Amino acid sequence: MNNLKIPVKIIIDSDCFGEIVVINERISFYGEVDPVTGIHKPSGKNINNKILLFPSTRGSTVGSYILYALKKYNNAPQCIIVEKAEPILVTGCVLGEIPLFVLNNLSFNYISSIISDGFKAIHNKGEEWFVVEH
Amino acid sequence: MYLTPYQEKILNGEYGWIYAKAFELIVKIGEVLGAEKLISVNHVHVSGVSYSNIGDYGLEFIKEFYVKGGLAKVYTTVNPGCIDLSNSSRLISNMFYNKQLEINNYLEKMGFKPTYTCIPYLHRRPVLNEHLAWGESSAVIFANSIYGARTNREGGPLTIASALTGYTYYHGLHLDRERVIDTVISIENIESKYYGLIGLWIGENIENKPLIKNAVNDYSSLKILLASAAASGDHGLIAIDKITPKKSYYMSDKIEKINIELKDIEKYQSKTLEFDLKDSKIIGFIGCPHLDPVEFTEIYDYIVNIYSRGRCRLRNYLLISVPYIYNELFINEINVLRRIGVEVTLGTCPIVSTISEKPDYVITNSGKAYFYLKKHKNIEVYLSTPFEIIRQLCE
Repeated sequence: MNNLKIPVKIIIDSDCFGEIVVINERISFYGEVDPVTGIHKPSGKNINNKILLFPSTRGSTVGSYILYALKKYNNAPQCIIVEKAEPILVTGCVLGEIPLFVLNNLSFNYISSIISDGFKAIHNKGEEWFVVEH
Repeated sequence: MYLTPYQEKILNGEYGWIYAKAFELIVKIGEVLGAEKLISVNHVHVSGVSYSNIGDYGLEFIKEFYVKGGLAKVYTTVNPGCIDLSNSSRLISNMFYNKQLEINNYLEKMGFKPTYTCIPYLHRRPVLNEHLAWGESSAVIFANSIYGARTNREGGPLTIASALTGYTYYHGLHLDRERVIDTVISIENIESKYYGLIGLWIGENIENKPLIKNAVNDYSSLKILLASAAASGDHGLIAIDKITPKKSYYMSDKIEKINIELKDIEKYQSKTLEFDLKDSKIIGFIGCPHLDPVEFTEIYDYIVNIYSRGRCRLRNYLLISVPYIYNELFINEINVLRRIGVEVTLGTCPIVSTISEKPDYVITNSGKAYFYLKKHKNIEVYLSTPFEIIRQLCE
């Protein structure tokens, strides 16, 4: 088993260790993610306590409140890695105290071609990378 | 990002958890966007307060900021909520009455002014090149384009964070380099009754920063145009030749020139009103954005005039939405209109509320209302002018 190092820019930092869930499309948290169950409805995947990897967000600004609600219902992802962070996502992550990272000089398409659901990854606070068990 | 020692202290929690949280929100968004520093603002306009839009999760967030001791540090106004604050509307549902009042209560206890309007410039007029942190896209574009003030289009939580701290991130339309015009649009020969359509067209088709030439010198028409463009696109600034203060925008060396003609915008105007008015359930809607005092008075005079001449018997709904303060400024006029059968709603509008009776059609003068009622509420909408709407609804 090889370890793969993925460079990231830190937006909201904290330790993060767990299983990766990959969503292959932009997420509109409002309408697509149910904060009471932690399910991303279009893919049917549970994001609770996972390392959530997806390209970026879209849709209503109410999406910020859904991230906040995920935390309140104990269904938030452990941390989020995206290709592009925009204000709705950043707002939600600050409100919900969800660590947030942006891929550093790597495209989502590339990363998602070598990483699948269930891979384990770890990030230690202060380090500008994730290590993925590959 | 550069932070002063005082700002560092706020961020580190020396002034309390809630201010640290609010500050973190501004700093993180600023960092993601590439802002170098923060900037003080003189007026915050808080959006995202309608329970119908933000639901229990939004309510809980606002409640948490209140419960943990948040207080406004700068002058702060508030956008419309989802209920008619005079609780007399037959059209605006009051199913969320208590939830909205709960939100309003938290906001007011944090020291925000109970304005409940999307035209905050009614309460405090921005000055040239003043920095603001406003939500509500129609207000933002009016502040930048008409007054030459500087604000980005902010989301609800960020505006609350700015209200509590008095800061926003120094980026986007706060910077000279982001206020550079690179497209000139001529709208000569297009009557002002089409300005809602022009706005929708610009929002959808123009990604750059435009300047509009040959527009009429009429604030009501420009307000409709700007609000429409901000709804269908993500514009925060559209300079208007001879109106937007000169020192608030700059011209690029390379300018693209565009002419808009009536045929370009006609696709939005779904035919003329061909349906049978008598057999349809129709809402005529005026007041998106909220009517300013001059607009309200003109419409009041017009309605009272044709009514007193026996030329108006309203068969359908005529809805007029106005700022909450008109409860004090125009209470007599509002009572007269209500006796005639006009719905005058205070501190709300159909865009941010739930409509109790879905109509067959809405006729409105607002391109913004056209955009949202069609897209989000799936209602058939026609565009017209205020006086024409009133005439059409009178028997």
